Amino acid sequence: MIKKFDKKDEELGSGSNPYQQLEKSAVLQEARLFNETPLNPRKCLHILTKILYLLNQGEHFGTTEATEAFFAMTKLFQCNDQTLRRMCYLTIKEMANISEDVIIVTSSLTKDMTGKDDVYRGPAVRALCRITDMTMLQGIERYMKQAIVDKVASVSSSALVSSLHLLSTSYDVVKRWVNEAQEAASSDNIMVQYHALGLLYHIRKTDRLAVTKMVNKFTKSGLKSPFAYCMLIRIASKLLEEAEGGQDSPLFDFIEGCLRNKHEMVVYEAASAIVHLPNCTARELAPAVSVLQLFCSSSKPALRFAAVRTLNKVAMKHPSAVTACNLDLENLITDSNRSIATLAITTLLKTGSESSVDR
Amino acid sequence: MEVLVLEPTLYTVKAIFIIDNDGERILAKYYDNPYPSVKEQNAFEKNIFNKTHRTDRAIALLEGLTVVYKSNIDLYFYVIGSSHENELMLVAVLNCLFDSLSQMLRKNVEKRTLLENMEAVFLAID
Repeated sequence: MIKKFDKKDEELGSGSNPYQQLEKSAVLQEARLFNETPLNPRKCLHILTKILYLLNQGEHFGTTEATEAFFAMTKLFQCNDQTLRRMCYLTIKEMANISEDVIIVTSSLTKDMTGKDDVYRGPAVRALCRITDMTMLQGIERYMKQAIVDKVASVSSSALVSSLHLLSTSYDVVKRWVNEAQEAASSDNIMVQYHALGLLYHIRKTDRLAVTKMVNKFTKSGLKSPFAYCMLIRIASKLLEEAEGGQDSPLFDFIEGCLRNKHEMVVYEAASAIVHLPNCTARELAPAVSVLQLFCSSSKPALRFAAVRTLNKVAMKHPSAVTACNLDLENLITDSNRSIATLAITTLLKTGSESSVDR
Repeated sequence: MEVLVLEPTLYTVKAIFIIDNDGERILAKYYDNPYPSVKEQNAFEKNIFNKTHRTDRAIALLEGLTVVYKSNIDLYFYVIGSSHENELMLVAVLNCLFDSLSQMLRKNVEKRTLLENMEAVFLAID
């Protein structure tokens, strides 16, 4: 039966979608093949892909049929095919909410996440955290702490992101992992650092003093990851906003310093943060506006868009600060991206004088 | 008054989807719940598609969300984020997805090859 299906897929030829005519009941029927021994990894992989495709298209699976398919899928853990195993993890995550008794795979996943094979460990951590509820979390807490400080970046990142997801349901358990997250935050890997900083902030965000300390620490030591920088800029500007004090605090200096970062992403984040600060004076705005002006002539549409959109906001409050950019904005009126052109025009209308309207 | 400073968060991407020439969903993943039901999601995708296809504008502000996109042969790739989001971060996600797929499929990223390697695509997005 499967063979036939495969063939039919191929005959459909180019242009048509081999997954289009899939029937949910037929696919679920095929899933019984998972119970056979010996397993055929290639066939099973194809069936799993079909199931995921159906789920992705928004097909509704009833609890009983989902549970049945889920239990059939658990049999595939006997097989050591790498792609097949990873598809199993995906299926677990997709079915975590529609199938019953998903905790049955806990031990298999714990085994994989502590196993030797690095390829499995990250995805296993993420799948495990999806099926874990508050009561079971303590059982795997030890493994999670280990995974967070693991030297393999994918494992560490997976554990950090999963912890973040768990935070909403099990705050009290996850907050005990602060030390591990702290260690991960000094990682050389840019993603690990970003995720660690994110987790740390979310654990501490209600504690203003802890957040301030954290920001001070990282603004001094510096970071490697541009994503982490963006995050830190946001946290810093939030603190600044709450403080409502003068802008001459070290936090503002930090944000201003980021205008000289080598990553455009960070520079833009800093400029936009300064622009959005309440009661910012024209003098403080100037450096931010001038980097935005530079971005206006960038070859990347997204950068031009970002720049002109931010300038548009500046123009609402401080039209005079933007006047210097008028020439650049005029060039953007003919931009091939209509959104950019529109934004440029509205910005000019706010800043323009009679002389520039004529042009 | 509008929200001045975006709440710092790691949740940057609201949705990723890949749509074919006819505006049909090949793949979609929602990470947030602005469009909880499938029906709403489809309507949203159709809407975005209608407003963006046949243009090569790369970025737009639609339904209050920042949409960065890229088209290739018969496919459209979208990454959706909040309108307060750093656009460059979204572009980084889009490029990463597209480049990974190009590398994995080892040839032109088009609908047929994509569908033939659906499992790889699922894994890549994951």
